[in-house]
Amino acid sequence: MRWRPDFIIPFLALIFCLGGQSLTHAEGKFNLKPGATGKNCLNCHDGFEEILKNPFVHTPVKSWDCTGCHNPHAASHGKLLDADPKDICVRCHSKVFPDKPVSTHKVAADGNCVNCHDPHGAKYKFNLLKDGGTLCSECHKALAERVAAVKFKHVPVEKGCANCHDPHASANAGKLLKDNVPALCLKCHDTEKINFQKQHMNFPMANTRCTACHNPHGSNHKGLLYDKVHEPFASKKCNQCHEGPSSPTPLKVKAGGFELCRGCHNDMINEALTKNRLHWPLLDRNGCLNCHNPHASDQEGLLAGPMQEVCGRCHVDTVAKLKAAKSKHPPVEQGTCMACHSAHSSNQILLLNKPSVIDVCGDCHDWQKHSTHPIGDEAKDPRNPNLTVTCQSCHRAHGTDAGKMLHSPTQTEMCTNCHKEYRR
Amino acid sequence: MPVKLLLTLLLMLPLYAPSASFAEQAVLFQPVVSVYTDGEGHGLLQPEGVACTENTLVIADTGNNRLLQYTVKVDAVEFASQIKMPQLTNPIRVQINSQGEIFALDGKNRRIVRLNKDGQFAGNLDLKGVPPDTGATIVPRSFKIDQQDNIYVLDIFSGRVIVLNPRGDYLRQIAFPKKSGFFSDLTVDHGGSVYLIDSANSMVYSAAKEAAEFLPLSKNMQEYISFPTCITTDNRGVLYVTDQNGGSIILLGLDGSFRSRKAGMGWNEGLLNYPAAMCITGTNAFIADRNNNRVQVFR
Repeated sequence: MRWRPDFIIPFLALIFCLGGQSLTHAEGKFNLKPGATGKNCLNCHDGFEEILKNPFVHTPVKSWDCTGCHNPHAASHGKLLDADPKDICVRCHSKVFPDKPVSTHKVAADGNCVNCHDPHGAKYKFNLLKDGGTLCSECHKALAERVAAVKFKHVPVEKGCANCHDPHASANAGKLLKDNVPALCLKCHDTEKINFQKQHMNFPMANTRCTACHNPHGSNHKGLLYDKVHEPFASKKCNQCHEGPSSPTPLKVKAGGFELCRGCHNDMINEALTKNRLHWPLLDRNGCLNCHNPHASDQEGLLAGPMQEVCGRCHVDTVAKLKAAKSKHPPVEQGTCMACHSAHSSNQILLLNKPSVIDVCGDCHDWQKHSTHPIGDEAKDPRNPNLTVTCQSCHRAHGTDAGKMLHSPTQTEMCTNCHKEYRR
Repeated sequence: MPVKLLLTLLLMLPLYAPSASFAEQAVLFQPVVSVYTDGEGHGLLQPEGVACTENTLVIADTGNNRLLQYTVKVDAVEFASQIKMPQLTNPIRVQINSQGEIFALDGKNRRIVRLNKDGQFAGNLDLKGVPPDTGATIVPRSFKIDQQDNIYVLDIFSGRVIVLNPRGDYLRQIAFPKKSGFFSDLTVDHGGSVYLIDSANSMVYSAAKEAAEFLPLSKNMQEYISFPTCITTDNRGVLYVTDQNGGSIILLGLDGSFRSRKAGMGWNEGLLNYPAAMCITGTNAFIADRNNNRVQVFR
């Protein structure tokens, strides 16, 4: 079939008209009468007038654009939302997330914006449900309690978390910090000031990590130092470990690895080295600093963080398995790794703190002393002539996907590992 | 017609080549035999090191503070002798050089002990002429011997691999990569490339022969490997990583690519419970199955 030229022009005109009609339809999505915007909604949603009296009202609400977020007829999402709540806010507020965030606030990344913001109107700026600090403290309770209780406060914390943190995501630093440390701290603290230099024994601090010694959320220790302070540091005997401030390499330590700490902690290190099995990182290039903070810490023993976090830096798999496990060993879950292990060295494999696994478990599980499946030196493991039955023959100490921390998915399967005659 | 068929077969030959090379790819990990005892029936206790040649197997029977020598036969491993001496209190790694000398790392005293082929003490490895990087202290966490009998020492204190000639004289050193976790072991392939295993990040680093620095060979492999503690290689271009916490052996290509996982966690033969070390010769693989108190032979 061939097109006749006299048909082409009317055909194109028809296409143009149809196209124009659909464009018009797209503009007025719900074919509302002129002037009949969101005000129509108030006919039923009369409580809304109170919301509109708030000092901060969401722009689409202010402009009566209820259909910006809601579908007035039907929707696949709760509250007649026009899209998944995770996607609806970022239609307009996409810029709250930088293109390449270094850290993101999970609640924001998950799209749970209404956990912090009222989508219609609120008493607080940015439509926040509560004032900044109070709102944050609802989830970060432990930190908020600590901030309230400490003797020495950090002024920006009292003024609000958003002084240092971006509540949605940070393009520059971890922990939602607006900038990396020390750049963030140096916005307020001038390292050139005489008082600053005096407090820091004239060491050049402009490129050091302030939060290694100072608790930015406040402290019971003067100078916002973490609560546990290493004695030489507290007494400002920096030259016990560092070259002096006038040295060409002023912050350089005087010896490497564990050799630096040996000067004072000789007995502890010597004792560790007499054991058959070492925790090898103790002797590597970072030595004690793999786990301890040499200046100050909020953890016992100057640990560089909560124990599970410190151990988990290297034992990533152990922590990951623990998190995924259905049955977890409470001491492991609570991060008290040293309930069973010696951190520096031991004569036992896995750096256990007692010669026998049975004794380690027996510290808490005393039932085994009066009623138990045969265990110990006399109970040979039928699976392997060189093994005897211990708690670990059936249980995995950190936790497993099975109940009661069993190695096998079911108790039957676990038992018939050895008692093969009962297999079905 | 026969010419056409021949040509077709010739064209299809490359398709079969990979599977052919895989077939000859060393150990198939069929359990052959396990070593549980010495010649007097005393059990092994937490063995952490193995070294092997075509005919010899040396086990670091760590929990019993001794070395055990065995003769390797076609389908059996026969006890030969026990080496127990005050100079070697806690053997954790062991190697044999081409002369049959045995080298063992004493984990407690942190020194490498040299024994002659009869198992007699021949002195400590002195590491002569090593430049002090962060002091006089050297902490050998592991070591390996290459085909020319050069000795590669993993010095964790100064963060470097020290290369020594067979007499123990310093040849060169390669610094650990700056951003890394904790290195537990190293190996040297037939071309002289050195490989490091980072236990904390489940990563392999390599330095080509005579290279001055290590570069990442693999990405972070925590998806495949729980906590690697030993690495070795064969003469077919395969890296074998001992996954201690995963109870497995992971096979990698020399480009660091994941190939397969062998064995698995357990107590029965063929399974592993915290494997500590591995040695390969020909098609035999000897694995120090530490928490099962045995050495398993796979083929």
